[in-house]
Amino acid sequence: MVYRDLQFFVLMIVSFLCVMSCQVRMPQIDWTISPLGQSDRPITLKLGGWGSSPSEQRLFQTVLTTFEATHPHIRVKFETVADQYMDVLKTRLIGDAAPDVFFLDSFEAPSLMANQVLEPLNAYLTPDFDLADFETTLLAAFQQDSILYGLPKDCSSLALFYNKQAFAEAGIAQPPATWDELLADAQRLTRDRDQNGKIDQYGLGILPDLARLVYLMRAFGGAAIDPQGKATFASEAALKGLNLIVQPYQDRIAARPPDVGTSSGTEMFGQGKAAMVIEGNWAIPFLQETFPALPFATAEVPRIQDQSGTMVYTVGYVMNRRSQHKPEAWELIRYLTGKTGMALWAKGGSALPSRHSVAQQLHYDRDPLRSALVAGIQYATPWQLGQYPTAIMNSFNNQFISAILGEQPLRQALQRAEDSANQQIQAAEQ
Amino acid sequence: MLKRRRRSHLTTPGIRTEGAGYLLMAPAILGLGFFTIAPILFAIFLSFQKVKLLGGIEYEFVGLRNFARLAADDRLWIALKNTAEYVAIVVPAQTVLALALAATLNAGIKGQNIWRILFFLPTITSSAVLTLIFMWIYNADGLLNQALALVGLPTYNWLSDPNVALKGIMIMNIWSTAPFFMVIYLAALQDIPRSLYESAEIDGANSWQQFRYITLPQLRPVTFFVVAMGVIGTFQLFDQSYIFSGGSGGPNNATLTVVLLIYQSVFRDLQLGYAAAIAFLLAIVIITVTLIQQHIFGQEST
Amino acid sequence: MKFSIHPFNFRWVLYVLLGVYAIVTLIPFLWALSASFKPLSEIIAGDFFPHHFTLDNYRQIFLEQPLFLRWLFNSVFIAVCVTVLNLLFNSMAGYALARLQFRGKQFWFLVILAVLAVPAQVTLIPTFLILKSFGWLNSYQGMVIPGMINATFIFMMRQFFINFPRSLEEAAALDGLNTLQIFWYIVLPLAKPAIAAQAVFIFMGSWNNFLLPVVILFEPEMFTLPLGLNTFKGQYISYWNYIMAASMMFTLPMFGLYIFFNRYFIQSVTFTGGKG
Repeated sequence: MVYRDLQFFVLMIVSFLCVMSCQVRMPQIDWTISPLGQSDRPITLKLGGWGSSPSEQRLFQTVLTTFEATHPHIRVKFETVADQYMDVLKTRLIGDAAPDVFFLDSFEAPSLMANQVLEPLNAYLTPDFDLADFETTLLAAFQQDSILYGLPKDCSSLALFYNKQAFAEAGIAQPPATWDELLADAQRLTRDRDQNGKIDQYGLGILPDLARLVYLMRAFGGAAIDPQGKATFASEAALKGLNLIVQPYQDRIAARPPDVGTSSGTEMFGQGKAAMVIEGNWAIPFLQETFPALPFATAEVPRIQDQSGTMVYTVGYVMNRRSQHKPEAWELIRYLTGKTGMALWAKGGSALPSRHSVAQQLHYDRDPLRSALVAGIQYATPWQLGQYPTAIMNSFNNQFISAILGEQPLRQALQRAEDSANQQIQAAEQ
Repeated sequence: MLKRRRRSHLTTPGIRTEGAGYLLMAPAILGLGFFTIAPILFAIFLSFQKVKLLGGIEYEFVGLRNFARLAADDRLWIALKNTAEYVAIVVPAQTVLALALAATLNAGIKGQNIWRILFFLPTITSSAVLTLIFMWIYNADGLLNQALALVGLPTYNWLSDPNVALKGIMIMNIWSTAPFFMVIYLAALQDIPRSLYESAEIDGANSWQQFRYITLPQLRPVTFFVVAMGVIGTFQLFDQSYIFSGGSGGPNNATLTVVLLIYQSVFRDLQLGYAAAIAFLLAIVIITVTLIQQHIFGQEST
Repeated sequence: MKFSIHPFNFRWVLYVLLGVYAIVTLIPFLWALSASFKPLSEIIAGDFFPHHFTLDNYRQIFLEQPLFLRWLFNSVFIAVCVTVLNLLFNSMAGYALARLQFRGKQFWFLVILAVLAVPAQVTLIPTFLILKSFGWLNSYQGMVIPGMINATFIFMMRQFFINFPRSLEEAAALDGLNTLQIFWYIVLPLAKPAIAAQAVFIFMGSWNNFLLPVVILFEPEMFTLPLGLNTFKGQYISYWNYIMAASMMFTLPMFGLYIFFNRYFIQSVTFTGGKG
């Protein structure tokens, strides 16, 4: 009967191998562009993305409906991924079941571009698409070896959000223009109103997350990664930059969201627990909806070493290299990132348009809340960390928190994080 | 074990349990075979390969290189240490708590239905919401610190102090999984023949003695299950440490767990071969612990 | 049915302890319930009771989500199928492993332990590839068939059956029932408490399942409730108010089911009590 077990196992392994071999062969099925007799039956395109607030979802659906109305031969099916977007997307790409067009955060772009799963878009571009209208920094995020793999859908930079009422109370007339002024203001804004020894309002809210900090390193000539894609944030220059938020935190004029019982920077600002935060465009509709009584304004991130700096985050539309409907997929991307489609989407106000002309058309460059953000895009550091972004980001965040809490010197924490990140990258590249 | 001579415990002559055994097992073998065992075999196969996943799957045989890499990976040893510490505290605590709750709720106290429902609440609340609620409780000026301050105990920065971050997750997990095992114990308590208690009572055994000499031995097989599942579940801790640390395993590796490493290797670095090697190591640890434990909890009367 | 054999001298201490523990289990649940009736700004502020009671969060979920009923149907349909199949198959396998003698029995028991020891994260991609090759992505069978058997509960049923008194089965065998008849007519009815516990957990597992469906279900029409209700999460901002209301909607059916099955953990005392 040992034999019977064995027999069964052999059977199972054989069937399993059959299954796997089908799988491996599958990607080679026909790549031919959709049949010509397409006029009678519309083609269904799959568009992959993540969820958002109900109002944003409605707006996005409107944009898609408008596209379908003007392109009657294409239907668009929006496939929302409920959580862990990149994990799900990678699994579907591996199994050749990914949508034709999908959202891609610039942070994840380098590894997908390098792995040849995205369709190069250069051949599709026509002069009337007006590529020069896009912000160069944002386009560069989706370029590798001068091949363009994606077009930025929208973006957001960081700006200083400040509470006007708190400023008035502290007798501060102007938002800080330099980091030194920021620290001096933060000192004056830190308040213990009821004198119980517990601070009720911190001057500055901070997030000890690499995604929000790279521009600080850059201000002194440091960087998060070197040209080879290795972590390099333990440099002297990076250390100086990071000290700009470590010091105020340890001086107790700055706080993190969990220190004051909140889960994000916008929440601590909205509740008046921090008088200033450095946040992005997403905070504007959120604050207006959730805290309608909050008097706030924005300014550009204070200058450091007499240089302007901030972060910019962007999301692009990319095409699956194995899409079976490439011309139609391009039509969709062209519409969504074209002047009309982008204006329709950006009107919602939760993200900034990536085209100059659309920003001007919507008057965002003159909008009192958004002009600081729009101005920041020009000089911002794009949020990208090469081909192994999560190894670098996780190692940094893991150690930086313990440094900011004073459990180990910043220098030691950064060195540990850098070593760990580079060790992981080296192992992955072997 | 396969060589054991056939001897039927069922006294009936003429019934071949051989066929019946495989008949009853067939759906399990097929279901697990295709959707669990096959992926595992595939993972074992991958642990000897360097795998390229994106843009067409490709393998390259690398022998034991993935396993050699295990030894050099500091983070793995930190994760193993964290996980082992977590298992050593959470499993006994949740097992004892579950048994105590079940025994109490089965002892004919007033309103036992209400208690049973209240105590089960943590298990049915979804884990994402639970984690959120716990972040609120664990905040610097959250509920837990307020309660601790009230009774004069020291307060902690539960979410970001490396010394207590894992403890916070432990408390949460004991709290939310104990009811699960409580229900299993409750069900098991129903199967203990009442006649055993009656005769013990006649012999003058008090309730503690009855619990000690009847209930506990009768619950042995189920306790084996409860402890084994506790060990498996805690060794595979992932959700909470992922959410609490934002996926980084910080602060200073305090919440890094083995499965978090596996997850990072699979999805973040697309190193499926290496992830499979870690999983292989983890599975061996779990199986060893379970077999030792089976030995401790004694041989069941098969 | 009540045990008079546990006289509590310290009865009051016991009730106080139970009460304290009940508060500990209840507070987080009540917090979530209360949060589901608050506007977002109040949830962030962290007070316990809502100042401005609102049904808006529920309205958003029910009325503004055209697919809500479809998601509910999908979840119920999948969970019911999975539960029925599991109760049968797990009990069969558990009984075979506990009671029957067949070659390879120990081997299969070890396989089941081994299956449990491998974390799902590492098998997710292979599972996805297998389901894809069967053409079962984005389908009900892709959710139901891989979920029709569960190693955990095979293991649990085995542990329950091991302790069963043998005398009934022996008597039935003498009456001429074969193994399958004994399993069906004698053993299963006796296993009610274990099956009830299993039903609660399997339904709950299927109801809460996220890892597999989030990967294999593409189209919003095929989503289960947790998937559909999770699309409120923004990239930078979380709408806790909707998430809380959604989680309440999501928890209540489970709660009802538990209350329903809960009685089996009591009733059967009298049932099995006389025998054994």
